[in-house]
Amino acid sequence: MMIVLRYMASTRFTLAGMALLGVGAALSYDNPVNTPVWVLVVPLVLLAINLLSAILTNARINRRGGLLVFHLGLLGIIILAAIGRLTHMEAHLEIIQGAGFMQDDLMNIRSGPWHSGALDKVMFVQGPYTVDYAPGITRGLTHSHVMVPDGHGGWAQKIVGDDRPLIMEGYRFYTTFNKGFSTTLTWIPDRGSPVTGTVNMPSYPMFEFKQSNSWTPPGGKEINFWLQLKTGLDDKAHWVLDARQARGTLVINSNDRRIELQPGENAVLDGGVLRYEHLSSWMGYKLFYDPTLQWLFITAIIGILGLATHFWRKFAALPIHSASGVKPDWSKGQGNVAVNSGAHVSAAVHKGQNNV
Amino acid sequence: MFDINGVYTELPWLYTGLAAYALATVVAIQGVIRVRGGSAGATVNRSYEHFVLGFAAAGVALLAMSLGERWIRIGHGPFVDLFELLMSQLFSLGLIYTLIYWRYPVLRASAVVALPLMWVLGIWVLTLDPVGSPFPPTYYNNWLWVHVGFGKVFLSFCLVGAGIAGVILLRGIERISSWFRQMPADAVLDALAWRFMLLAFIFHSLMLVAGAVWAQDAWGRYWAWDALETSSFLNWLVLGASIHARTTYKIPIRWGAVAIFGIFIFAFLTYFGAPFYSEAAHKGVI
Repeated sequence: MMIVLRYMASTRFTLAGMALLGVGAALSYDNPVNTPVWVLVVPLVLLAINLLSAILTNARINRRGGLLVFHLGLLGIIILAAIGRLTHMEAHLEIIQGAGFMQDDLMNIRSGPWHSGALDKVMFVQGPYTVDYAPGITRGLTHSHVMVPDGHGGWAQKIVGDDRPLIMEGYRFYTTFNKGFSTTLTWIPDRGSPVTGTVNMPSYPMFEFKQSNSWTPPGGKEINFWLQLKTGLDDKAHWVLDARQARGTLVINSNDRRIELQPGENAVLDGGVLRYEHLSSWMGYKLFYDPTLQWLFITAIIGILGLATHFWRKFAALPIHSASGVKPDWSKGQGNVAVNSGAHVSAAVHKGQNNV
Repeated sequence: MFDINGVYTELPWLYTGLAAYALATVVAIQGVIRVRGGSAGATVNRSYEHFVLGFAAAGVALLAMSLGERWIRIGHGPFVDLFELLMSQLFSLGLIYTLIYWRYPVLRASAVVALPLMWVLGIWVLTLDPVGSPFPPTYYNNWLWVHVGFGKVFLSFCLVGAGIAGVILLRGIERISSWFRQMPADAVLDALAWRFMLLAFIFHSLMLVAGAVWAQDAWGRYWAWDALETSSFLNWLVLGASIHARTTYKIPIRWGAVAIFGIFIFAFLTYFGAPFYSEAAHKGVI
């Protein structure tokens, strides 16, 4: 058993694993869709076996506290990263102002086979948001207001955006560049009950001139919408995107008729009446869940501290001056020193060679 | 060379800072050339090192002024475009190298290699447009500072290692070998160079961790194999593999020096090649 472990612990094995991992990393550049995850998994498994074997059998590692902590840290990172990929979840979400989070609204969901978070306990309501823009329509900070349960039966307001995600039950919701306007509409059919819903327009201001969409009401014909917006957008000046300050005229094309509606106005169409209730907005979020994040960070920091401790213990007794035959006395104004022939090399430094 | 709001006020400080670095380089080279004539044990006047230290420190101070002026002019720190990344790197490399030059006289002759390496950045920055870029929303994060700070220390220690490795390699050239007679033997230099590379490895590891925390906050993922992440991870891997190889095998000193120089070039390309290639520090994520 020990013979096998010693073989698995060899530095040749380490270097081969590192070389394979390097190839895997190079192949993974930019996450190409046709590169399988095995190009990373195989070398990482090999390196994990190598690390564990070395920790168990290599006295140069397991008898040096700092080095031992560093290598245990590396092993911990590999294991935690693997658990993270098996339990993670990623998705996207578009949520309308005033609406609550619903799992069913998630799109592009990718999750590990062991994912079992408490997403059903996540609860928040989207509020208004503002986005700052620099001249040239360069996006700045996003301030998205959300209402979250305060734990006492009420709601508390939070402001999230950019590098400040909303974190609930371990799920992290990040605002994205993807956001825009929506129109709240009520369809009152000739026969039947009225239906109220929203139609999201494309991302704004990215698609400033394509604010159009279509909708087919229940029992009716497809209606094409175009939203004429007045947001104060000025590409030569600082500007704040704020749906509360925006005005939108809804242009409807139906049966070759063009109808312009202001909020609160109706249009009589084939099969019923369409009411433009009000202009609203939607925010696109990226959802990320990985229960190992904080443990990864702690493990990495402890591992690096271990390596730093090893470095300190090893070299504190061997100051760089000990390698020097030159130590000018600046207090005397001159740096006259004897030329070092290289013959009186510090024995301590020599000893340290090949053992960094 | 004029901004719509006025002159690029950081340029005079930048030019004078680069001039100070240039003087430090010239004096350092002249100084070691003068040393070559002495025999072992003979007294050598190393007072020129006062001037190298003074010019280098002046260069650092002037570059600090340049960075400050630019910060005031464009409203944010040197984190976005290549011009300010190079300026900032010239400052941090100069600062850490100057501190090491002052603290460790035994390494001073390696300035003949290290300072010209910095001049690659110095010449490059002169070719770039100093106009500022808007600060991306994802850069308003304190971990950016930590990440960039560790990265700067990493590259600085790599520069020190590369400077020492360069001395080992230059000693192989007969006409130049006598320039470095006041430095310890190659075996000692080799040990010192790898000591700095191990320090570089520690700070590279810290840089990767801090970068992952920043990326998680800023873009909702801690790792995404973008150009800079892939290149810096490969750099970390190569440095780690080199340290392992050195501790296990009897690598000839010159080969070790070549490896250190190669790692420095790799780090250089990671820092200044990947951002240049991808235009933003992390392509597609701002």
